[in-house]
Amino acid sequence: MQFNPCMKHKLIRNSVRNFAETELAPVAAEIDRNAVFPLDVIGKMKNLNYFGLQVPKEFGGAAMDSISASIVIEEISRICAAVGLCIAVHNGVAIYPFLQFANAEQKKRYLPKLASGEFIGAFSLTEANAGSDSASVETTAVKRNDEYVLNGTKIFVTNGGVCDLALIFALTGFELGRPQSSVFIVESNYPGFLRGELEDLCGMRANPVSSLFLEDCCVPEKNVLGKIGDGMKIGLSTLDTGRIGIAAQALGIAQGAFEAAVKYAKERQQFKKPIASLQTIQNYIADMATEITAARLLLYRACSLKDEGVSFGCEASMAKLYCSSVASKVTSLAVQIHGGYGYSKEYDVERYFRDAKVTEIYEGTSEIQRLVIARSILSQLIL
Amino acid sequence: MKKSNKKSIWVFGDYRNYYQNRVTLQLLSKAVDLAKIIKAEVCALIFGHEIDEWIMEYTAHGADRILAIDDPALKSYSTERYLAIIEALAKERDPEIILIGATDFGREFAPRLAKRLKTGLSADCVGLDITEDGLLLQLAPSFGGNMLAEIITERHRPQMATVRPGTFKEIPHNYERKALVERLPLMKNLPKSRVRLIEYERSVEKEHTIENASVIVCGGRGMGNKEKFKRLQELAKLLGGNVGATRPVVYAGWADHDALVGQAGKHIKPKILFSFGISGAIQHTAGLGEANFIVAINKNSQATMMKMADVAIAADASDVLNSLIKELKKRIRE
Amino acid sequence: MLNLVVCLKQVPMVTELPWDEKTGTLRRDLAAGMMNPACKHALEAALQIKEKYFAKITVITMGPPAAEEVLREAMALGADEAILICDRLLAGSDTFATSLVLKEAIKKKCPKFDLILCGAYTADSETAQVGPQLAEELDLPAAAYVEKLEIFGRTLRLRRLVDNFRETLEMEFPALVTISMENYKPRFTKLAGLENAFCGKGVVVLDAAALGIKAASMEQQCSRTKVRKVFLKKAQKENVLIQGTASLVVTEFLDKYQRTISTAIGKSIEEKKLDEKEQ
Repeated sequence: MQFNPCMKHKLIRNSVRNFAETELAPVAAEIDRNAVFPLDVIGKMKNLNYFGLQVPKEFGGAAMDSISASIVIEEISRICAAVGLCIAVHNGVAIYPFLQFANAEQKKRYLPKLASGEFIGAFSLTEANAGSDSASVETTAVKRNDEYVLNGTKIFVTNGGVCDLALIFALTGFELGRPQSSVFIVESNYPGFLRGELEDLCGMRANPVSSLFLEDCCVPEKNVLGKIGDGMKIGLSTLDTGRIGIAAQALGIAQGAFEAAVKYAKERQQFKKPIASLQTIQNYIADMATEITAARLLLYRACSLKDEGVSFGCEASMAKLYCSSVASKVTSLAVQIHGGYGYSKEYDVERYFRDAKVTEIYEGTSEIQRLVIARSILSQLIL
Repeated sequence: MKKSNKKSIWVFGDYRNYYQNRVTLQLLSKAVDLAKIIKAEVCALIFGHEIDEWIMEYTAHGADRILAIDDPALKSYSTERYLAIIEALAKERDPEIILIGATDFGREFAPRLAKRLKTGLSADCVGLDITEDGLLLQLAPSFGGNMLAEIITERHRPQMATVRPGTFKEIPHNYERKALVERLPLMKNLPKSRVRLIEYERSVEKEHTIENASVIVCGGRGMGNKEKFKRLQELAKLLGGNVGATRPVVYAGWADHDALVGQAGKHIKPKILFSFGISGAIQHTAGLGEANFIVAINKNSQATMMKMADVAIAADASDVLNSLIKELKKRIRE
Repeated sequence: MLNLVVCLKQVPMVTELPWDEKTGTLRRDLAAGMMNPACKHALEAALQIKEKYFAKITVITMGPPAAEEVLREAMALGADEAILICDRLLAGSDTFATSLVLKEAIKKKCPKFDLILCGAYTADSETAQVGPQLAEELDLPAAAYVEKLEIFGRTLRLRRLVDNFRETLEMEFPALVTISMENYKPRFTKLAGLENAFCGKGVVVLDAAALGIKAASMEQQCSRTKVRKVFLKKAQKENVLIQGTASLVVTEFLDKYQRTISTAIGKSIEEKKLDEKEQ
């Protein structure tokens, strides 16, 4: 058992940190305030393989292991969670299904473009009446000659405003009376693919989260991912991976807020001494540090199970549940330690605080994670 | 020419830098002090072409002896040729101490000379003295932290040190002084320089350096970000001064390398120094030796810079800057 | 093909390390290491040469086992070979000894080099001595503080700024340059490069014995200067502390020290006001 980061992981962390602190830190507050997706920084990230973290080298990716990929997302999110979200979703739920379920032709056609960032990807399951309950998707796909015609509305699509390609979940029929869904690779330039207004969100404001409208959108038959009817299978397997990405993002947010809080506690003087010398503040700092460390170990364990090729769904859910809860708690304490200043836009912790909350909501709410974990535990024969 | 039996302290005549920092004159002044203690003579080295001006100047500033080589072949500075010349002279005359200004040229030249003479070298000294055993005590900033090291060269000779411009005060010139001027011929077997100077020009844009500014506004990482840092320029303009920066700030790209104040950058001697958001690492404070009055602004009242200051203002550097600009404008307008 | 050697140093990531008064050493353990910034610029210069001309880059560092990290980073950026000189015997090396050790390693591992590039100075000691002393060891034409390099056949042309003189110099290979931080802004590391750096070629590790360096000779090399005493720079002055909100501290400061400022700027603030009105 190996608990310390190896040289490669240390170097990856330092390199990404250097990039994020140099390129993202100067704009992070501003792009949050103005809800702007930072295209120039994203352009640089494309050239540095941030859009092909785990894509094999033959398709132009960085072929990273899962811990490395998590470190990348963590370090980007430590500075700017919205950009962290962009790459977490692109590399997770948008690319992973290709790696798992796409046929050779689809891989050859799309993976190089996705890995280079020429195509930014999105994953569209959520609808007004279908969130955690993926079976109640209402978007439909009807076969007509050698294509499928898609109709429906997807909401809260991360990267929606800028994506060049989206994986769309749609209803393709019923099997034994149960709805049967399938996944379609839809390029944004297909006729009938329309984007809604960007959402005005509490956090993650620099990510262009939007709705997508499919109005008689024609998708070639060769763009069905896996087989017709594979929707549920692809969805569940993809979400496991997605959860690892969001856990990494939440952990990065927690780390960023934690560092800001420690720095502030050492600087801020009250009663003629730094507040870090007060026991209450020390207790906060101790708790934050302990929980962040625990969260990180949980996450990396899920990653290593994934790379071993064994089942990691339960561990991914545990990591996602715990990392997001730690992010919420740590960012809240970071604001508390900052006092009134923490509530002001002048300090970054306010942004971290807003960004953290959604990590408990998307990619499966904390409630759903508990459900997944409990089901897995209860189905085990030997505990 | 008679050779001296006395111990000798050599000072390298870095005349090209005369108009910028007069470090050679400062070293001559210190050499005079040291020479008194160890009963040595002060000897200035001048290699160049048409150098009578410098012979006169160095004599007036304390040299007892001048070793001069005046030859068209030495018209421009050349590390390789100077190395060969000093190596030959040192082997013949055995100087006790060689002092070189830590100018860019000196910093490039001195390490090679020390290696060639197989002796030690202390870089960037901020003080020199003589120990009770008669050795050169070299006070040099040391690795990383806020500390100074007392360094001695026990067995090897000469004892060598480079000293940053501005460390010592020159003594007033006295053109009545006489020195023994030895005009030596250029050695015959001097190796051809392998480095060819194709062209050079005095860089005009660098003339208005902060080394001579009487008001300097320095900023560190505590300024928060590049935009906030840029406002320092406004205060500097208001006070007719220059902006300086710490190394982390230069690395972060908030300021040009030219603005770097400290051990590897500029040594400054302002009448008043404003230090915004600077913790006070030795690499920076080594450049502040001659600041007359320091005002430090830092959230952390325990920072080294705050303790070095005459006035320490414990508050957010950027906020104070904005407020100070506003208030000064008001007072000026009133 | 050009043979380039880049000397790298790992330095602590923070600029200000705490000083342990009990042991009299720096708490280097408190900071992670990173590639010295000026060395990064030197590596960048080598990478640009490699892109423009045909070149092989060998990177060398001397340090503890953890210093392998800067070599891997260099490989991630595009260096072809990496050499780590690592031996407890060499731990206390000053610049004099370091340049000797580097010479031995270069003579052993890449004797046919054309150009050696070093950073102009290191962030942790800033003595800027190793480059020039290595040139002396290898008897090379050299230039420090180089901002721009061009290569014409076997001729190196370079531009640099020394003591406010902008110089253009030429020299023939083999040669040595130290690169300033004015130019050659380091590129960011590609993530694919980082992965490759750990699955391709290894790092060659050399100890003192491999370089033919004996303990006795090291002792002799290092003993040229001796540190008699190290002490914290006692900077404390009798100073005035002003605390409060930004506007309050500024008012208090100006009320108390307006005269001092006036003296420093050579005229009183009121006079400055008159001047500005005249303009």
